[in-house]
Amino acid sequence: MQPLAELTSGRLRRPPGSPGRHTRRIAEIAVLAMLVALPLVTSDTFLIDRFGRYFLFAIFAISVDLVWGYGGMFTFGHAAFFGGGGYLVAMLTTRSGWFLPVPFWVALPMAVTAAALLALAMAYFVFSGRQALRGVEFAVVTLAVAVLAERLTNAGGAVTGGRNGILMQTHLGIPGLISLHRSYGFYALTGLLLVAVYLGVRRFIRSRSGLVLRGIRDNEDRIDLLGYDVARVKRRAFVVSGALAGLAGALFHVHEGIVSPSAVGVGSSTLVLLWVVLGGRGTLLGPVVGALLLPYLTASLSGTLLDTWLVVVGVILVLVITLLPSGLFGFLSRESEQ
Amino acid sequence: MTVLAVDGVTKSFGGLVAVDDVSLRLESGELRGLIGSNGAGKSTLLNLIFGRLHPDRGSIHFGETDVAGMPASARARLGMGLALQTPSVFESLTVEENLRLGALPKRLTSRNGGATDEVERVLGLIELEPSRRKRAGHLSHGDQQWLEIGMVLLTQPRLLLLDEPTSGMTRPESRHTAALLRQLQESGAVEATIVVEHNIEFIELVSDEVTVMHRGAILADGTIEEVQANPEVQAAYLGRLH
Repeated sequence: MQPLAELTSGRLRRPPGSPGRHTRRIAEIAVLAMLVALPLVTSDTFLIDRFGRYFLFAIFAISVDLVWGYGGMFTFGHAAFFGGGGYLVAMLTTRSGWFLPVPFWVALPMAVTAAALLALAMAYFVFSGRQALRGVEFAVVTLAVAVLAERLTNAGGAVTGGRNGILMQTHLGIPGLISLHRSYGFYALTGLLLVAVYLGVRRFIRSRSGLVLRGIRDNEDRIDLLGYDVARVKRRAFVVSGALAGLAGALFHVHEGIVSPSAVGVGSSTLVLLWVVLGGRGTLLGPVVGALLLPYLTASLSGTLLDTWLVVVGVILVLVITLLPSGLFGFLSRESEQ
Repeated sequence: MTVLAVDGVTKSFGGLVAVDDVSLRLESGELRGLIGSNGAGKSTLLNLIFGRLHPDRGSIHFGETDVAGMPASARARLGMGLALQTPSVFESLTVEENLRLGALPKRLTSRNGGATDEVERVLGLIELEPSRRKRAGHLSHGDQQWLEIGMVLLTQPRLLLLDEPTSGMTRPESRHTAALLRQLQESGAVEATIVVEHNIEFIELVSDEVTVMHRGAILADGTIEEVQANPEVQAAYLGRLH
C-alpha cells in the first residue's frame, strides 16, 4: 500500500448529483416560484406588505437554523440580536449628540456590525476555554441574555425609550427616486435579501467550515479529537448568525416604525424557535417556510377567530410536531448536504 | 527514534490510583499491544497519552515535545490519532462526509470539501466504498469501528492509538482489522501504534511487543511468548495475583 502521506493529485471525485440534492432543488424552486407568483396573482398590497415582513422573519429563522439546526447550539435568546439590530438602528437614526443622528444606510451596517460584535463577545465568553458551555448550559446562558436585554431596554430611560421603546420616521428607499418602504417595493427588497441570505448560508453549509459545523452538531468530542479548534468554528457560525439576525431585525423595526423591549425578549426568541421547529430544523428551507407560514396563519386566524385563534394555532403546532417530528421539511434533513 | 516517552505517569480518581507510576517508550516502527484485565488502567493510560485526561505526576513526550499540559486537539494536530472503544462517528453524516472530516485538518480534500484520491483510498482500505452515501449511524458496529479508524488515518497520525478496536467485531472482521493494522505499520503510513485489547488472538496477529498492565501498573513487557510464559502474568490473568 502506498503511504497515506503520499497525497497524489487531489483530484475531485464528486459523485453525480444525489437524489437528495434533486429533492432539495425541487422544493427550493417550488417555494421560490410561489413567492415570485404572489405579487402577480394578488393586488392586496396589505398582504404583499405582510409577506415582506415575513421574509425578514425568514432571515431571522435562517440565522437560528444555522447555529441550532446545523451547529447543535440551542439558542433561547436570539431575539437579543434581532431586536438589538432594531434598537441600534433606532438609536443611531433618532438620537442626537456627537456624530448622531446618522442616515439609515449608514446606521444599518453599523447596527449589523454591532450585532456581530455582540455575538462575538458572547461567543468568546461561552465557547472558549476548558469550561466551554454546550447543551442545556448554553441554552440557559442565551435565555439569560434575552431576559437581561429585555430588562436593560426597559430600564434604559431616554436612551432606549424605556417601556415605550423608540419611534422611528426612517423611510426605506432612495429619497426622490424609489420607495422600498411599503407593499411591492418592500416585498422586492426583503425578498431579494432573503434569497441572497439563503444562498449565502447554503453555500456556507456546503463548504468545509459547514461540514465541520455539522460534525460539531453530531459529535463535538470527536471533532475535538480530530484536531479542530471547536471554539473557533462555533464562534464563526455564531457571529454570522448574530449579524444576520441583526440585519433582519434592523430592517423589520424600521419598517414597523417602532422598536420596544419585547423585540429583544424571551417571547420573540421562542417564536423563532417555533418557526424553525415547524419547518424542520437543519433543513434551511424548512425554517424559511415556517417563518412565512406560522405568522400568516396567526394573522389570518386572529382576524376571523377572535377568541380562539391562539388555541387553534396551538393545536395545529402540536399536530405538526407530533405527526412530523422533523418538521414539514424534515425529509430534507435526511439527505446529504453535499 | 523514540516516538513516545511516558515517564512516571500517575493518575488518581479520588482515592483510586488508576495509573500508577507508569513509564513506557515507543520506538519508530513499533506496534505495541497493551493488555490487561478490566480496570487495569489501559484505557486511562491511552487517554493520558492523548490528552483526554491529564496526569497528576509524570511527563509525556511526543517526539521531542512535552505534551503533558496540552489539550487533546493540540496533540491531534501534532500527529496523534485516537480511535475509541465505542465508535465515535458522525451519525447523521454520510460515510464519505465522515472521512472528509478526518481529511480536512490536513487539507486532504478539494477546496470545496469534496473527496480526493486520499479519501477514496481510505474508503477502499476500510471496504466501505459501497456504503459511501449511507449515513454513518446506519452502519453496523464493526463498520462504524472501521469508519472511525479510517477517519483517524486520514489525519495522517504519526502515533496511532486504538482502544479495543475489535470490540463488538466478528472473528473475520477482527482478522481483517489485524491485517489492516499490519499493512499500515509495514507501509510506514503510521510511525508507531499502541493497541489496547482484551482479545489475545488479535494481539498475537498484530503485535511484536506486548505490555501487560495490572492494577494501574506495568506488570510485564516483552514478546507475546515471553509475557504468556511469565508466571506473574499468568497469575494476574487467572486472578491469583493480589
